[in-house]
Amino acid sequence: MIHDHAKSTSVANHAWIRARKLRKVYRKALRDGVQEIVPLAALDLEIARGDFVSLMGPSGSGKTTLLNLLAGIDAATSGELWIGDHNLVHMRRDALAAWRAKEVGIIFQSYNLVPVLTAFENVELPLLLSPLGRRERTERAMEALTTVGLADRAGHFPSQLSGGQEQRVAIARAIVARPPLLLADEPTGDLDRESAELVLQLLDQLNEREKMTIVMVTHDPRAAARARTRLFLEKGELARREEAVP
Amino acid sequence: MIDLNVLVRSGALALRMLMRSRVRLVLTVLGIATASFLFTAERSVRDGVREATQASAQETRLIVYRANRFCPFTSRVPEAYVDEIARIDGVASVAPMQIAVSNCRASLDVIVFRGVRAIDAERILAKRLRIKEGSLADFLARGDGALVGSALAERRNLRVGDRFNSAGVTVTVAGIADADGPQDRNACYVQLPFLQSALGGIIGGEVTQFEVEVSDPSELQAVAAAIDRRFANDRAPTSTRSERAFAARAAEDIVTISRFAGLLAYGALAAIFALVANAIVLSLEGRAREFAILQSIGFRAPSIAWMILVEAAGLSLCGALIGAGTAQLVLTFGHFGLGAEGVLVEFRPSLAGLTTSMLASLLVGVAAGFVPAILASRRGIAEGTRLA
Ligand SMILES: Nc1ncnc2c1ncn2[C@@H]1O[C@H](COP(=O)(O)OP(=O)(O)O)[C@@H](O)[C@H]1O
Ligand SMILES: [Mg+2]
Repeated sequence: MIHDHAKSTSVANHAWIRARKLRKVYRKALRDGVQEIVPLAALDLEIARGDFVSLMGPSGSGKTTLLNLLAGIDAATSGELWIGDHNLVHMRRDALAAWRAKEVGIIFQSYNLVPVLTAFENVELPLLLSPLGRRERTERAMEALTTVGLADRAGHFPSQLSGGQEQRVAIARAIVARPPLLLADEPTGDLDRESAELVLQLLDQLNEREKMTIVMVTHDPRAAARARTRLFLEKGELARREEAVP
Repeated sequence: MIDLNVLVRSGALALRMLMRSRVRLVLTVLGIATASFLFTAERSVRDGVREATQASAQETRLIVYRANRFCPFTSRVPEAYVDEIARIDGVASVAPMQIAVSNCRASLDVIVFRGVRAIDAERILAKRLRIKEGSLADFLARGDGALVGSALAERRNLRVGDRFNSAGVTVTVAGIADADGPQDRNACYVQLPFLQSALGGIIGGEVTQFEVEVSDPSELQAVAAAIDRRFANDRAPTSTRSERAFAARAAEDIVTISRFAGLLAYGALAAIFALVANAIVLSLEGRAREFAILQSIGFRAPSIAWMILVEAAGLSLCGALIGAGTAQLVLTFGHFGLGAEGVLVEFRPSLAGLTTSMLASLLVGVAAGFVPAILASRRGIAEGTRLA
């Protein structure tokens, strides 16, 4: 099997997340032909397990595209994208969904929550896909809400929460199924300084205590400073990589 | 491949999300309920017309009418024909009957008086009427006694001992009887001489029709032909049909209208389709991001399609329950019966009608959700999450 072969050659001496010549092309049909947008040209990238990575770059440089590929919610055009022993580029939509349910938590910039569901119900969502019974689901969801400091808001609807609280509920939902990988696309982009600080502290804590691998897209240098590894994208390629001095 | 657990949980989730969108839910459900009410009412009309007029292989009853006459007021045949008819091969029994109606034209709440001889009441009516209140003896003992069909009694709220007047005839209720056919259930049986004199004696020695029972249902048409042949050259030629064929002719207008109403039923189903499709499609526009986020969490595309279908099913079932349920109540307490030329068509509630409407709404609703469900589940997740 391809996977076994790949495992034996790459897993042992390579990073957990590996992108090789990763390419994403969007084709837009125009009146006079097809326009190609290439947010990712031929990206090579490695991320170690347990790392806290910030992803920066000018607007339109392909940050969200890369994050979506890492999340398996968008399909690469060519290249390889390994996470553990899965090459996401060759996985089918269904397999990716099953993989996501176990392996990834995702936080978007805003409007993460289902508006007609309470904070608790939103956090419980990923667990509906697990074999856990109701009692365990409730326990886990409350535990996650406690982690983000919002246990007392369990019954509130998103419209009854502040932007910062919504974002923390989104974090609770992203971690409730205890995935090893957490992806965040400008999670503090819409927040005031204080709320942003709370969210960043949470991410720090999840990385340190729970050993979650975090990839966070951000525009904010202060937020990026939290990360151990800072990646800079430019025109669809990795322009620079900085490691924080321990 | 299909995880039953996830199926149940995502189905429940879809219903919960639906219940939380109050305005959308209430408006759509009310629309569906209205359409479903129409559909159920039409089913009842159709079933009633069928029961009264559709020929069946088990029929044994013939109505002998004056040829070329269509209204009980104009059909006159000599009462003396009774013996001639009784002698025809295949005739098991024959009863002369005088019919008087409060209204000959198609109308609700018609009273159909049926005058029968005492001897026929004992021999024939006693067998097919199930007397619930009063008795046959009371009926025979009183000159103005009436045996009232159960549907008529309910419609007019009649009890034994009540007196009532219609079409210039005043009777006293001596018994209330249930029966299998709509004509008996809606009849007001009185004694023949009483009815003849109440109508002014102008038709002495004449009756409106004969009711003939044949011994073998397969002989029905042959016996009818034999009767008409016998009187073809007599002073009052006859026209004999099965009771239901007779009803179909007499209630021709009602049959035509009900056929037209059948179109309304399809219209009602189309309305349900449009309402569900509209509610689903419109809501999906605003919820593309929501479904993309569910998928980013790990919900699979088929689960998304399933949730949308459950939502469509929930909407249509909810509407059908309210609409069809209301229709059943209205039919139950309204006791509707439409009469024309002495023939009655009943519009009654039925479990079959209720289940048919519910099923039809459900099927149409799910069908309406099908295409949007597939399309929504196939949409790119990244495109959805990029939407603000
Ligand atoms: N679905 C799409 N179709 C066409 N072009 C797209 C689509 N999504 C993103 N793009 C384009 O890809 C480029 C990279 O976008 P993105 O990854 O969102 O950048 P960033 O997050 O760094 O601002 C942009 O030029 C954007 O317009
Ligand atoms: Mg972006």
